[in-house]
Amino acid sequence: MTGSVESVAGGPILVVRDLRRSFGGIKAADGVNLEVRRKEIVGLIGPNGSGKSTLFNLVSGAINPEGGEILFNGRDIAGWKPHRVARAGLARTFQIPALFDNMSVMENLLSAAAEGHWNGARGRAEEVLRLLRIEAVRDNRAVDLSGGQQKLLEFGRAMMREAPLVLLDEVTAGVHLNIRSIILDAVARLRDSGTTFFLIEHDMELVKNVCDRIIVMDAGQVITTGRFDEIATNSEVMQAYLGRRAEVSP
Amino acid sequence: MRGWFPIVLLVCGAAVVFALPELLNAYWLRIATGVLMWAGLACSWNIIGGYAGYIDFGHSVFFGIGAYASAILMGDAFGWPFAATIPVGLLAAGGVAAVIGGPTLRLRGAYFAIATWAFAETLLQLATVLEITGGTAGLSLPPFLNERFFYFAMLTAAAATYALTWLLFERSRFGLKVKALRDHEPAAEAMGINTAAVKLQAFALSAATAAVFGSIYAYWVTFINPRSTLGGDITDQMVVMVLLGGLGSLWGPALGAAALFIVNRIFWMYWGDTTFYIAILGLAIIVVVLFLPNGLAGLFARKTQNGSQNAGRALWRALTRPGVER
Amino acid sequence: MDLLLQTLLNGILIGGIIASFSIGFQLTFGVLHVIDFAVGAWVVLGGYLAYWMSTLLGVGGFVSLPVAFVVFGAIGYLIGPVIYRVRNSRYARPELMALALTFGLFTLLRGGALTLWGFNTRSVPTALSGESLMIGSVTVPLLRVVAFAFACAVAAALFLILYRTRYGLAIRATAENRHNAGLMGVDVQRLSANVYGLYAAVTGMAGVLMAAIYSVNPEIGLRYTLFAFFVAVLAGLGSVGGAILAALLFGIMESVVATYVGSSYSHLAIFATLYLVLLVSPRGILQRGL
Repeated sequence: MTGSVESVAGGPILVVRDLRRSFGGIKAADGVNLEVRRKEIVGLIGPNGSGKSTLFNLVSGAINPEGGEILFNGRDIAGWKPHRVARAGLARTFQIPALFDNMSVMENLLSAAAEGHWNGARGRAEEVLRLLRIEAVRDNRAVDLSGGQQKLLEFGRAMMREAPLVLLDEVTAGVHLNIRSIILDAVARLRDSGTTFFLIEHDMELVKNVCDRIIVMDAGQVITTGRFDEIATNSEVMQAYLGRRAEVSP
Repeated sequence: MRGWFPIVLLVCGAAVVFALPELLNAYWLRIATGVLMWAGLACSWNIIGGYAGYIDFGHSVFFGIGAYASAILMGDAFGWPFAATIPVGLLAAGGVAAVIGGPTLRLRGAYFAIATWAFAETLLQLATVLEITGGTAGLSLPPFLNERFFYFAMLTAAAATYALTWLLFERSRFGLKVKALRDHEPAAEAMGINTAAVKLQAFALSAATAAVFGSIYAYWVTFINPRSTLGGDITDQMVVMVLLGGLGSLWGPALGAAALFIVNRIFWMYWGDTTFYIAILGLAIIVVVLFLPNGLAGLFARKTQNGSQNAGRALWRALTRPGVER
Repeated sequence: MDLLLQTLLNGILIGGIIASFSIGFQLTFGVLHVIDFAVGAWVVLGGYLAYWMSTLLGVGGFVSLPVAFVVFGAIGYLIGPVIYRVRNSRYARPELMALALTFGLFTLLRGGALTLWGFNTRSVPTALSGESLMIGSVTVPLLRVVAFAFACAVAAALFLILYRTRYGLAIRATAENRHNAGLMGVDVQRLSANVYGLYAAVTGMAGVLMAAIYSVNPEIGLRYTLFAFFVAVLAGLGSVGGAILAALLFGIMESVVATYVGSSYSHLAIFATLYLVLLVSPRGILQRGL
């Protein structure tokens, strides 16, 4: 593990050791090792198919690992059911917005608090609506929202969890700059109040500006980790991106 | 619907409901009792089908369990009083749902529908060969000919079912959890919701409420057989009533039940048989699917952005643009 | 021993006919992504068509076969796009609504048949009714053999279409991925109409034969829907190849239970097995893609 981390970070909140999982012969996680520290914003980058989403699914319990450890706040949560992981204090968003389509925006937010901090949930939901500037559509069904509003709502739902660790899976992909800055403002705010973020991102500009540290994956393994300027000059990383198809331009 | 309107509606409704036995003759009182029973059953189906999104094509099982529990326990072998049999049926149905729900609720969509249907038919066939259920001949209960009693019994059960549904699904976080797992199960899990447990609870609740109506029904008609209590027609009616009224809405099932059951009785009155009614039932489903996907309740529902919506205009829009309205 | 042979033979022969409409049922699921509740109704209506032809025109069952093909093909061709449209609509829950639609269709057809013909059982005479061959001590009813041959022909034709023609390739592509097939220039809505039409036509013909073998009444439709479901669950929904094997297995099972345990238990056995199979292996026991 590379130790060059900014001083904001505390001890580790998430430690992954030798995590393994394959699908029909393809090793989506081939001995993943990584660490996320308290109050850090860590970016996870890598070409498509490098195992980033699989890693998120493993950590959040959506799929079971074949081996390895996932230490969350010191407890091994490998193989836990997703709802247990969530209750232990981990929130996540999905790559494709996974909203409760037939429920209103308000209900979507409240349902995120149904299992957790229910007292005062309505007040907090109002606050999230205001912060994300979606008060106007509070009574609309989620399925009727625009793509950007859906991303905002999904992020808002993760906020409602009040979780110490939030996994964001391409939360700003394909949204307008306005919406992106709303989300990034919210991320900064939450981090100041002690939330740790672990995010998959394809936009290198964003990674550069937001992340304290970056983890690079390729072929189911972590190939390097460090600050953006360290990563950008790393030939291995360039190889990983350019060796395949140039889907992402750093 | 906020403010004084629902209160006035509730008071007027209550007044009408309590005055009905004085106003109706015996024949129409029976029909009113039937409407209440079907409204309650439709509501019970709506819990699992509408709120939780699991299409149960074997819900008659729970109605039948209630009916048979009362019939067996009130028979000569046990001789229990009627009131004591209701909790037994309720618990038996809830228990069966809890047991079969574990494995069955892992199935999704059409697979769940087929599995529940198969389970219901299995129980139906079992009831025709077992001795305790009286086989195909069925069972008789001690007659109690008091139409008012049954009217008020059904009224109490239906009111309780709707009140419970309203409290649990429209006014508490349990409803949020159930609707969340209906709309997106993995996302619900990510919100910390134990979906396996929550849907099992919804299923058991749905089953237990259906059983109460089975108990009262058996005592009311004094004679039951496998077809009349466990048969697919019972489930079909519930499903169609909910679809017609509005899937997943609180009052929709009551609207659908009233409309369909009264039409059913009118057919029976004028033509004496109800085979044509089956065709009408089928046609009603097709029309609802093509033109009124949100059911009768959808016509009266408010559109949030454009203020309140005129029911007539909504109907017109639905008829002129089939298959596109959400 | 003879009884066992006889039972197995009956099972295989009936399994063949069930296979003929199960294949179409599977194909429809593959393309439309809808479980067609109405399958049993098409079987029943095929039987009544033959019954009408024999009472009104005095022709035997076999003459009704091509007529059934045309009539039900046309009806199916008209209904297919409606189902497709609902399945791909912007409704809150299109899958459920499409299921409800075919369920409504089934109920409408069943109610219509009951209204027109009542609960009475009708039979369809054919040139071969009552004829049979004796092989050793085993009776081979010729009508069932012909029906079995028909089923084999249907299966062979469908397989040829699916695997040896360009249109079959389009069908398989659509079953694999509707969206991509659409991008590749397949008119998916048109294709749904054709597939549903073909399926309804074949199912109506199977209905003619079923009525000739067993007789027909409106309430029996539910049984055939159940048969198709059972075969589909055993084979895995959408699997065409598996459906043939599953249908044969099913025919044998039904025949064995009816002979050795008693026909009042055969339904119990079928439903209980169906339920258990679903729980143990919801994706089918004989998994094999289209």
